[in-house]
Amino acid sequence: MQTKIHLDEEEMPRRWYNIQADLPTPLDPPLNPKTGQPATPGDLSAIFPMELIRQEMTSDRYIDIPDEVAEILRLWRPSPLFRARRLEQHLKTPAKIYYKWEGVSPAGSHKPNSAVPQAYYNREAGIERLATETGAGQWGSALAFATSHFEMDCTIYMVRASYEQKPYRKMMMQVWGAACHPSPTTLTASGRAVLEKDPETPGSLGIAISEAVEDAATHANTNYALGSVLNHVCLHQTVIGLEAREQLASVDEYPDTVIACVGGGSNFGGIAFPFAGDKLTGAHPETDIIGVEPAACPTLTKGLNAYDFGDVAGLTPMLMMYTLGHDFVPPAIHAGGLRYHGASPIVSKLVKDGVARAVALYQSEVFDAAQTFARTEGIIPAPEAAHAIRTAIDVALECRRTGEAKTILFNNTGHGHFDLSSYEAYYAGNLPDYDYPEDLIRDALTRLPKVA
Amino acid sequence: MPVFQTIGLVVNPVAGMGGRVGLKGTDGLADRARTLGAEPLAPARAAEALAPLAGHGLRFVTAPGEMGAAPLARAGIADVECVHEPAVPSTSADTQAACRAFLERGVDLVLFCGGDGTARDVADAVGTTVPVLGIPAGVKMLSSVFALDPESVGRLLLADGPARLADAEVIDVDEEAYRANDFRTVLHAIVKTPSAPGLVQAAKQVFEEVDEDRARDAIGRFIADAMRPGVVYILGPGTTTGAVAAHLGIAGTLLGFDAVLDGRLIAADLAESDLVALLDAGREARLVLSVIGAQGFVLGRGTQVCTPAVIRRIGLERLIVIGTPGKLARTPCLHLDTGDLDLDRAFGPYLRVVTGYGTAQRKRVGVDTFV
Repeated sequence: MQTKIHLDEEEMPRRWYNIQADLPTPLDPPLNPKTGQPATPGDLSAIFPMELIRQEMTSDRYIDIPDEVAEILRLWRPSPLFRARRLEQHLKTPAKIYYKWEGVSPAGSHKPNSAVPQAYYNREAGIERLATETGAGQWGSALAFATSHFEMDCTIYMVRASYEQKPYRKMMMQVWGAACHPSPTTLTASGRAVLEKDPETPGSLGIAISEAVEDAATHANTNYALGSVLNHVCLHQTVIGLEAREQLASVDEYPDTVIACVGGGSNFGGIAFPFAGDKLTGAHPETDIIGVEPAACPTLTKGLNAYDFGDVAGLTPMLMMYTLGHDFVPPAIHAGGLRYHGASPIVSKLVKDGVARAVALYQSEVFDAAQTFARTEGIIPAPEAAHAIRTAIDVALECRRTGEAKTILFNNTGHGHFDLSSYEAYYAGNLPDYDYPEDLIRDALTRLPKVA
Repeated sequence: MPVFQTIGLVVNPVAGMGGRVGLKGTDGLADRARTLGAEPLAPARAAEALAPLAGHGLRFVTAPGEMGAAPLARAGIADVECVHEPAVPSTSADTQAACRAFLERGVDLVLFCGGDGTARDVADAVGTTVPVLGIPAGVKMLSSVFALDPESVGRLLLADGPARLADAEVIDVDEEAYRANDFRTVLHAIVKTPSAPGLVQAAKQVFEEVDEDRARDAIGRFIADAMRPGVVYILGPGTTTGAVAAHLGIAGTLLGFDAVLDGRLIAADLAESDLVALLDAGREARLVLSVIGAQGFVLGRGTQVCTPAVIRRIGLERLIVIGTPGKLARTPCLHLDTGDLDLDRAFGPYLRVVTGYGTAQRKRVGVDTFV
């Protein structure tokens, strides 16, 4: 009985899959934050290289992966697909559970899949330094790793709550040669504005994005890199789903259910877009695609579908997406990577159009699942990944009730070795079940940008 | 170095005596308790709590005999000044007089040993001038001024670093009614108390808002922002609901119920009949309540004007519970006791508690217990 399904290195995908080619209607365009008009490539060129802007906007179905990028991705790719037999036995489910294991990357998560090409295209465009934000530290450490391969400098604005909770992530960034600051900082006008209002703020991804965008826009040699949300980031992550589809095909399987957690949407897009594409083209119209988010930050289940900024200061283009409001500061849940007020416009559209659906989970039930997974499959997952695990377990338990032998695929996005203090809080009984006061927020939510 | 260097200590020697002999409290009944064979317990509890404080250079101001000096001596504490000559036997007037004398001597904190009745006397005399901490020795201890047990008194008072203070409700029970199985409580006062460093430490790790004032302010700002025109908001007692009033720029009633419409105070310190009349006028209403007391009551402690009739008129789904993360960290689960068990159960197994600006926690409702 096979537990790990591997692809050979030469079987690694040579091109990324762009789901924009298969959307029945095009995405609503990003809008220039100043004019409210559709953003032009020129609007974005202050902070992004042209090739990434092209990837953001193109409807070409496939984009070639440059050789130099593929060579670095091969340090850990193709990543293994696991059959979670011990978990299945523990749950006494007739379902088959497969998971893609992205924790094998040097940074320990799926994030380098996009960090490497982003660093590459920026270096090709003559950029010497990248500025970025990071929530839990996964993206920051991934970009630090990637820039080190292209001899670029890297400045990382790390959400203060995570900076203090996860000291080892910033050490990783230092090892790979990047500078990491707790955000909000006094280095940027956006950071100073937030600190003036609230010196003790735990920070948020939205604030950190403002700082990094400002840094990039005000330094000629510096561009900005975003770890999620944008189309080109999700595009780079599709290697996950493309590999998984090949790996499942090698054992004559195709998933009935595809599950991933959603923060900004890149790991979800990475595993789900190839299968969502099959659903859109009619090749596999019945696949149940589920995005899992924290009840504390329920963007897809309780947000509004509207144009909103990607950041707190309103510096980014406005995106049509599910949003909780760009000034929403989510509670300091342990799945720091899922603390984002918005979601990828493509993921938002798939949810709105019913191609994918979303569920929201409380923190304690997520850690229950993480513990079950660690005690059956061995891997101690990141709290973010444990959201997908919880839902995979819930679907498998539903199969036990109905007797269905579904094939479940979920993305195990990273290991939890730097999240052990979160597990400590779980075992100490100090894990509040953060909730989202939807009715009250709707009453108070009057600060979305007005779009004609 | 401990923050509280000079400590006023008052022991209610008869506190808790009624409990063992089934009297549900000892207010005015110490003699009867003695006749029934009860023995004083509080001085021994006090000495147990005080023993770890010996040898730390703390100064004590206290009353003579079993009201303080004797338990201090048994705990091996010598640096003691006596300030008040109590009646024999001592009464609640002695507790209050001793506390007032402590304040004149400039104590940093008043430590008392007793139950809710003693807490009420201490709160009347001390108010919020200095923090208050209770050594639990009474029959009823619904107030949140009490340390978990005598042992944790030392942990709280010997902690280094700046004092972390929390608001603590003093809840008063009508003992005579209680003996007739009619449980009536009043939120009597709100005082300051040192908060447990162990719990604060744990909260820090997950980066909660540990500062009570900041957390309360964020909650107040959020609820004030979320108030819709034309809807009556009934603000319950406590400093957290007080923060809502503060953001609206109105003076609320700290220990009572007020009604707010379109940002204006339309009625203050409402009785049940006022609430019913107001609700029968036909406007949509929402009820804003904070988590009260050591046991985490949302309804049933200090909220007696919110009768089942009032709650049903407002609608269960229109309840807005608010509480600081620190308060919730000290409260394992919430309690409801409206006097109508069916109504209590209708709220379901969880309540949502707003804990900050746009943030909330789902909190379990415990089986209904008190004392």
